[in-house]
Amino acid sequence: MKIAVMQFPGTNCEHETLVAVNAVGMKGEIFRWNRPAAELSGFDGFIVPGGFSYQDRVRAGAIASKEPVMDALREEAERGKPIIGICNGFQILVETGLLPGTGKIDMALAQNVMVSGGRVMRRGYYCDWVNLRHDALPKRCSGSFMIDKKAILQIPIAHGEGNLVTTTPGLVDRLKDEDQVVFRYCDPAGQVVNEFPVNVNGSTESIAGICNPEGNVLGMMPHPERAFFAWQLPAYDPRKARPDDPGPGRMVFESMKRFIEVRA
Amino acid sequence: MSTTSTINLRVWLKIPDAEAATVKNTLIRRMGFADSLQDVKKERLFSIIVDSGDPEKLARSFARELVNENKESHKVLFDRLSFEEGYVPVKVALHIEDGEAVSTRDRLRNRLGFSNVVEVKKATVWKLYLKGENQEQVAKEIAEGLLINPHKDSYEIMGKTKMPA
Amino acid sequence: MKIIGLADQDVEANLRGAGIGMSVAEARSIAEILGRDPTLTELFCYDAMWSEHCSYKSSRATLKEFLPTEGPNVVMGPVEDSGIVAIDDQWCVVISHESHNHPSQILPNEGAATGIGGIVRDVNCMGATVVASADPLRFGDPYGPKASKVRWVAEGVVDGIWQYGNALGVPNMGGDIVFNESFDDNCLVNVVSIGIVRRDQIIRSRAPQGAGEKGYDVILVGKPTDSSGLGGVTFASEALRAEDEEANRGAVQIPDPFLKNVLFKANDDLFRLVRESGIVIGFKDLGGGGFTCATSEMGASGNYGMEINLDDMHKAADFPPEILSIAETQERFLIVSPPELRERILQIYNQHWDLPNVYEGARASVVGKINTGDRFRVTHKGVMVCDVPIQHLTGGIRYKREEKPRLRSLAEPVIEEPVDYNQTMLKILGSPNIASREHVYRYYDTEVMGNSVIRPGEADSGLIAPVRGEKFGVALAVDSNPFYGRISPYWAGATAVAEAMRNVAAIGAVPSTLTDCLNFGNPEKPEAFWEFREAVKGIADSCKKIWLKGYPNQPVPIVSGNVSFYNESPEGSVDPSPVVACVGIIKDVGKAVTQNLKAAGDRLFLIGPRFDELGGSEYYRTIFGVTGKNVPLVRFDLDRNMIYAVIEAIDQGLVAACHDISNGGLACTSAEMALVRPARLGFELDLDGAAEPGLRTDKVLFSESAGFLIEARQGCEEKLRAVLEGFSLEAMEVGRVTEARKMVVRRKGKALIDLDLDQARAVWTNGLAEAMR
Repeated sequence: MKIAVMQFPGTNCEHETLVAVNAVGMKGEIFRWNRPAAELSGFDGFIVPGGFSYQDRVRAGAIASKEPVMDALREEAERGKPIIGICNGFQILVETGLLPGTGKIDMALAQNVMVSGGRVMRRGYYCDWVNLRHDALPKRCSGSFMIDKKAILQIPIAHGEGNLVTTTPGLVDRLKDEDQVVFRYCDPAGQVVNEFPVNVNGSTESIAGICNPEGNVLGMMPHPERAFFAWQLPAYDPRKARPDDPGPGRMVFESMKRFIEVRA
Repeated sequence: MSTTSTINLRVWLKIPDAEAATVKNTLIRRMGFADSLQDVKKERLFSIIVDSGDPEKLARSFARELVNENKESHKVLFDRLSFEEGYVPVKVALHIEDGEAVSTRDRLRNRLGFSNVVEVKKATVWKLYLKGENQEQVAKEIAEGLLINPHKDSYEIMGKTKMPA
Repeated sequence: MKIIGLADQDVEANLRGAGIGMSVAEARSIAEILGRDPTLTELFCYDAMWSEHCSYKSSRATLKEFLPTEGPNVVMGPVEDSGIVAIDDQWCVVISHESHNHPSQILPNEGAATGIGGIVRDVNCMGATVVASADPLRFGDPYGPKASKVRWVAEGVVDGIWQYGNALGVPNMGGDIVFNESFDDNCLVNVVSIGIVRRDQIIRSRAPQGAGEKGYDVILVGKPTDSSGLGGVTFASEALRAEDEEANRGAVQIPDPFLKNVLFKANDDLFRLVRESGIVIGFKDLGGGGFTCATSEMGASGNYGMEINLDDMHKAADFPPEILSIAETQERFLIVSPPELRERILQIYNQHWDLPNVYEGARASVVGKINTGDRFRVTHKGVMVCDVPIQHLTGGIRYKREEKPRLRSLAEPVIEEPVDYNQTMLKILGSPNIASREHVYRYYDTEVMGNSVIRPGEADSGLIAPVRGEKFGVALAVDSNPFYGRISPYWAGATAVAEAMRNVAAIGAVPSTLTDCLNFGNPEKPEAFWEFREAVKGIADSCKKIWLKGYPNQPVPIVSGNVSFYNESPEGSVDPSPVVACVGIIKDVGKAVTQNLKAAGDRLFLIGPRFDELGGSEYYRTIFGVTGKNVPLVRFDLDRNMIYAVIEAIDQGLVAACHDISNGGLACTSAEMALVRPARLGFELDLDGAAEPGLRTDKVLFSESAGFLIEARQGCEEKLRAVLEGFSLEAMEVGRVTEARKMVVRRKGKALIDLDLDQARAVWTNGLAEAMR
């Protein structure tokens, strides 16, 4: 099971993502942006990892989305292969129109705005551990294939632009109706509260991750590869006391693997 | 006497602008504009609306705060915005709230004490050096194809002389 | 340039007119060695190489006299860009510590970003993977007369750090921030970076053996050379004057983390090529002194000469040779390699990693050759613009500076004991120097690379597990207290070392090595030079008397460091600031402990007696606005025992939480253990178990005497006592963790502090955001 971990100039999470891919028994390979795009057809799945591709020039994801390898990924997506975009990878998938999946740019990930009680507390880059509620049904989406509905995952975020906005009428309702809202920011009890710090970046309806209508393409702002082992958890998480246990983010990679197995 | 005026600060890098170079490279190598595009330059635009004070004096103070003389040059225009011949200026701004513009306004007002600052707007002006026919149409394609995400940005192809909106 | 035969004032005028900072005597000595008038390029090269920054001309003798740099774990001391210490038989930590103070005062964003950019190059060029950075920052008084400027600097510096570091993809493991009016006109932006390398894969920054005989290539990699950093080195060595600020801006470099990110990956391929081919190369980053410094030092350290042709250098424009020679264009590296590797090296950078399309004009170019001569020769457009003895150029010069103690009128204040300890406590918790650092570290990507075990705010030091499949962890902490420095530079130096070591010990890591960044005023002033020497002595004494664990009488080695002088303006110099970073090693990251309280009912133990030494304390300053006189001492034997005992107790699994006592004393230490996330538990302290009966309560609570507060794991109390007794320490049981979310402190049955956790937390989490708003 071969997974291409895409690498653009400025990508900076490819190595830890590769560790996660390999740790669940898939075979990962870092795929540099200027390799022949046709080689991508030999892979069973793809991860577009986090970082600052092209230094977020013009806006996050915009330049990378024009690379020939992204055209190739579009074709692979049409074949039903799984693609997971994490953080900047999510931004790139939005800019290529792979998410929400209508083929055109249907939303933007704008600058974070932290609002509480009607007051802007802060803007822009933010790094912290957040709670994610899995809102889709299991088997709906490649990257959450094995995750129960309403399961809560602790995973860190680190981004400046993760605030989902759209001018497409009815898009958010459609995403919800079609079970394409995969992850939402929530409090430790699983309640979605549209206020900072629970909604950590001001995203519409606290949306943290979405998939395409077919479910094979997932984009999420949080970084599951940074929550892969229990030892990576924050100090206040009691699971850290068993450092060698799996971390909450591992399920995303296990899901991808299972998705590929089931499809095959 | 209270007169509202708009101080436009056009700011550009004296050193090579890596972002403009990347845009040019992408348009030519990845998006098929090799025949129509010669060069891309970029400016930052601050439009600062004040409700009192000597605009010339204020413009000098604002430039001191907002322009980094070590690496940037600037030009001030009062109550109007105009651009030179030779390129198509495409102004891109957020149509959702611009947090950086709000921060700039708050910094000028609260930290630096310019209480006459009413509003600050920010934009990026992409200067597209085009060749051939239908330059306006090409600029439109470039803007919509790369320079904006319509869910947060809007753009305007600027004429040679524009009065403030 | 004409020098020979001219009068001093004419030479002076010529030098200044050309923008050269060196003295007339220095210029004459160069003309004498050359036997002719030097060219403009030669003078620029010497000026850069003989600057304080490149040559340590004022400081080197003092550093050599006092600082221990050797030890059983030292793989490489302070001879190249970074120091290296062994973790085990296979892995090593690479560490470097620099300052970027002057540029950051003028252009905070670019200055701070360039600081990170430079330090990570220093680490990477040893063949290492950069795995963490930390930034010790000092800003002026955010509520003082220059508050607006101070906040502008602070905001810009933090922005520069996160914008560069996050994009590069190196986690920020913390650092510290101190505000104090002595930094109003001179902020300090220090930066520490660590890397990991296998011992057999270290790459040196010198022309390898045989390079001259075989005519090795000199290959320049990275951004096209421009003029943007011109004069940066000389700049860092002169006190800032307000009227020069505009002119000085020309000295700041423009960093580019995006290009650096790609360069690092290309460098990894270079390292792989070197490993696979079994060929030794020289590799060095370009920093202060630019191209001249990197090339000449690389040649000189291999005892070779070299020929450079500036026409072959890739550049942003047709600059004159003196600019190309010393411009401090960022994001560049230099390779010295045999001709048989040439094509493959060029291919890595120019094709595989496509530098020319990643950054306009960037690439790898062959710019010269190593030879067996002893000259540093540079040609430009067919003209020999520089032809000097390479060892003379790189040898630098030394100055013997005068020293004279700085006399300050210091006194202990006569103060009333607070009537309302709750209010006193809240005021201190909200002060900019005590309040939670969360406002700042949420800007830093603390998680990238996925190695983070303990992150900023969770404990006294950060901890990473940098190698997957290995259990060891690397801890990093920094410290320096400018208020102590004002009272006694000696004790500030000694405390910085001891405190940085306590910080890594508090999570269970063993202090392994130290670095220092010594920030002082103008060394040509005897008082400033005295402060420098005192601080170095203090640092050295702590290193020598606390020892490397497991090696009695073996000093903890200092393997890297930096001296930053001229941190002064006409209003005066910064408080003496010997900033120390400590790297600690823990064998199993699973054993590390953090500072948050873990379980209600757990008992709290104090180690380290309280003394009446509140000079420079948070309590004196924030409540009474005075500095005082009795600066905390480092009681070397006591400190050593405490550090070792804590490490031992943590290793045995006896400790649930641990926090060292520093700024704000026992009061703040205990409060922070409760206030840090998850902030679900409170505590009760009873000072009867903590103190000399004669010491007044406010001094017990707020004295910054060294110590630790430990939450014992339930059922391990007696074992903990035994461990402490084994180190001749008294385990003072001072309280317990409570279910009630309150902070309660009693003495002689009377409640002194009784604060609701949420109320205290609001003050504590807001203090820094308010100060930087």
